[in-house]
Amino acid sequence: MIALSVAAVLAIFLLYTSIAGGGTPSLRPSQLDGHSGKVSLAGKVVGRPSGDAHAAGLHFVLRDVKGTTAIPVMYRGTVPDLFRTGRDVVVQGQLRNGVFVAVPGTLMTKCPSKYAPAKNS
Amino acid sequence: MPDLGRAALATALLLLVYAAVAGTFAAHRRRRRLAASAQNALLAAFGASAVAAATLLVALARHDFSFRYVADHTSRKLPLGYTLTAFWGGQEGSLLLWLVVLCGYGAAAVWTTRRVARDLLAWTVPVLGVIGTFFAFMLVFVASPFATQAAPADGAGLNPSLQNPYMAIHPPMLYLGYVGLTVPFAFAMGALLSRRTDERWIVATRRWTLAAWAFLGVGQLLGAHWAYVEIGWGGYYAWDPVENAALMPWLAATAFLHSVMIQEKRGMLKVWNMLLVILAFCLSLFGTFLTRSGIIQSIHSFTQSSIGPWFLGFICFVVCASLGLVFLRLPLLRSKTKLESLVSREATFLYNNLLLVALSLTILWGVVYPLVSELVRGETSTVSKPYYNFFLHTFGLPLLLLMGIGPLVAWRRASFRALGRTFLWPLAVAVVAGVILLAVGAGSSRVGVIAYTFSIFVLASIALEFVRGTRARKALGSESWPGAFTALVARNRRRYGGYVVHAAVVFLAIGVAGSSVYQTVREHRLHPGGAMTVAGTRLVFRGFEQHRAPNHQAIRAVVDVYRGGKRITTLLPGKNNYFAEQQVSNEVAIRHDYADASDLFLIADQVNRDGSVDLKALQKPLVNLIWFAGFVFVGGSLIALWPDAREERRLAARYAGALAEA
Repeated sequence: MIALSVAAVLAIFLLYTSIAGGGTPSLRPSQLDGHSGKVSLAGKVVGRPSGDAHAAGLHFVLRDVKGTTAIPVMYRGTVPDLFRTGRDVVVQGQLRNGVFVAVPGTLMTKCPSKYAPAKNS
Repeated sequence: MPDLGRAALATALLLLVYAAVAGTFAAHRRRRRLAASAQNALLAAFGASAVAAATLLVALARHDFSFRYVADHTSRKLPLGYTLTAFWGGQEGSLLLWLVVLCGYGAAAVWTTRRVARDLLAWTVPVLGVIGTFFAFMLVFVASPFATQAAPADGAGLNPSLQNPYMAIHPPMLYLGYVGLTVPFAFAMGALLSRRTDERWIVATRRWTLAAWAFLGVGQLLGAHWAYVEIGWGGYYAWDPVENAALMPWLAATAFLHSVMIQEKRGMLKVWNMLLVILAFCLSLFGTFLTRSGIIQSIHSFTQSSIGPWFLGFICFVVCASLGLVFLRLPLLRSKTKLESLVSREATFLYNNLLLVALSLTILWGVVYPLVSELVRGETSTVSKPYYNFFLHTFGLPLLLLMGIGPLVAWRRASFRALGRTFLWPLAVAVVAGVILLAVGAGSSRVGVIAYTFSIFVLASIALEFVRGTRARKALGSESWPGAFTALVARNRRRYGGYVVHAAVVFLAIGVAGSSVYQTVREHRLHPGGAMTVAGTRLVFRGFEQHRAPNHQAIRAVVDVYRGGKRITTLLPGKNNYFAEQQVSNEVAIRHDYADASDLFLIADQVNRDGSVDLKALQKPLVNLIWFAGFVFVGGSLIALWPDAREERRLAARYAGALAEA
């Protein structure tokens, strides 16, 4: 009985904090419109990244992985080893005047082939 | 060659199906010879799966690229060691490892318990058979490691970050843990099916559970250490779904290890123990599912594959079947005794269980939150570090405190006066330590001070337990002090091994707190000759050096490290450029300081064309205690696991009656 009641209290506590505290929305470039707060953006790097991530900032363009909407991104901080054109990445930040300004150090690559290289078929 | 592998897997599948079907029939109709034959099928399935595994190993060693798996995960330049460990570098091989380990565990557990728990075994064997059938089916029909192709000239190679000794042993350790949880689960189901719901299924599988749990713990620490030295962001745990996938079953298994002691001693919590073992097993299946399905975004992103839905289906089947079975057998799972007091050993175990399960479920909630929010709000949301840290603090700190309180509280009912007496010393030590910590400025982090004060309290109470026990033994006989100490531990291996593991958890907590809340981070762009300072250490960048290895080109920043005006060492952080894999990998440089267990951690974050480097330096106090905790953890687990002839005889005598009835 004690166990059950305490567990129930914990469960409610948990639901409360998770829903009220909320998470960070994960979006694609095409879903960015109307979001002014901090979001996590996932997309594919297109074009040539330019600039210096440890100085004025690295500039690159993220496109929907399956789509055409693209958005310019400005990023500072550590650039993962696997970052390059064509890779899927996730980065946190918010939209300011049409540019997605990233939170420093939040860029992560999602290598779809991390543990198994692409099938050479 | 591939035919041999395929045939071996098909044989394993047939044998496991036989173990499941014939075993069920035999248990149902009480056919003893048929039951023995089902058992033998399980043993033979281990042989068949081992042949399949050997086939794959030989193919890897021979660079036989006509095996698609070999071509996808190795290359000719890859050193032999990593060529062999590429066995578990991919999905099909991992599944094969699951099957081999499962059959091995199953066969060994059945063999070692055939005398103590013969009546349970009749139903345990078919349960193991069903689980094995699932994995063998996947390997034969869905994800075969023996798919062939026209052999290419060279393979695609192994991901460079996996070319590390830790990555060679981390996955098998985790698998030994994940899969090992199958044994207590299968015996629990066997106990329910055979209506023998006394504590024998727990006693029979005690060491198996402990071993699986220890492997899972060690596997995670190895993974953490790998992330620390190889991935190179300066941390060791990132609350990534895949990491959480291993932590959750470990927490559930930890709760289980504690709560079964109450069932053994007091006959309570029978339903709870069943639920915990189901939770632990399902979480370990879920962990495998999570890493393989690609359903949740993770930095680990393994190959997305077709096995996801199969796994989900199997998990649903296991959850429904096992919970249904518990429900059917509820009348048999009544407690013999009731909790007498909220201040007793039982009660502290109960609190520990609630906290562990709560922590495990909060993590689960965090992991599936993206899916839940997608369903509820139509928008994927993720929770990150602050969420997990919040719950780690709320549930973890009380857990830490309980490790100090639990062992000192009497069974059944403790009086407050007796408690005052036993707690006097540990409390006094903890208060003094707390004051000293505040005096030296540890108050910069409230969580840190709380964690450290609690840690000291736990260590003091563990030390007190050893001292009191040794003194009591000394008083009993004429043994010397060391003799009394060894006799104490040898005669109560589980208890004192447990205390040693508690000490390991405390070291872990100290290391984690020290390296996270008290660390210093500095970043600077340095040109040759330039310098920066991190926590009193001066770093001077001398320039780059390059060299060529068979499978990569290496570039290193030469950094001289000065402390107190004296050069103490030269560190070489840099990057490796792997040819075959066309990947760059960060190579960090770490200087361990064993005197104060701290690390100086250097990352060459960016190598610039103009000859400058963006250097990131971290001073991480006490971080080495985390790895030290690993050794203590293994030591404590070994003490608790070590076979004890006296205990075996006692158990054999105790259960002789139960077996005679069968």
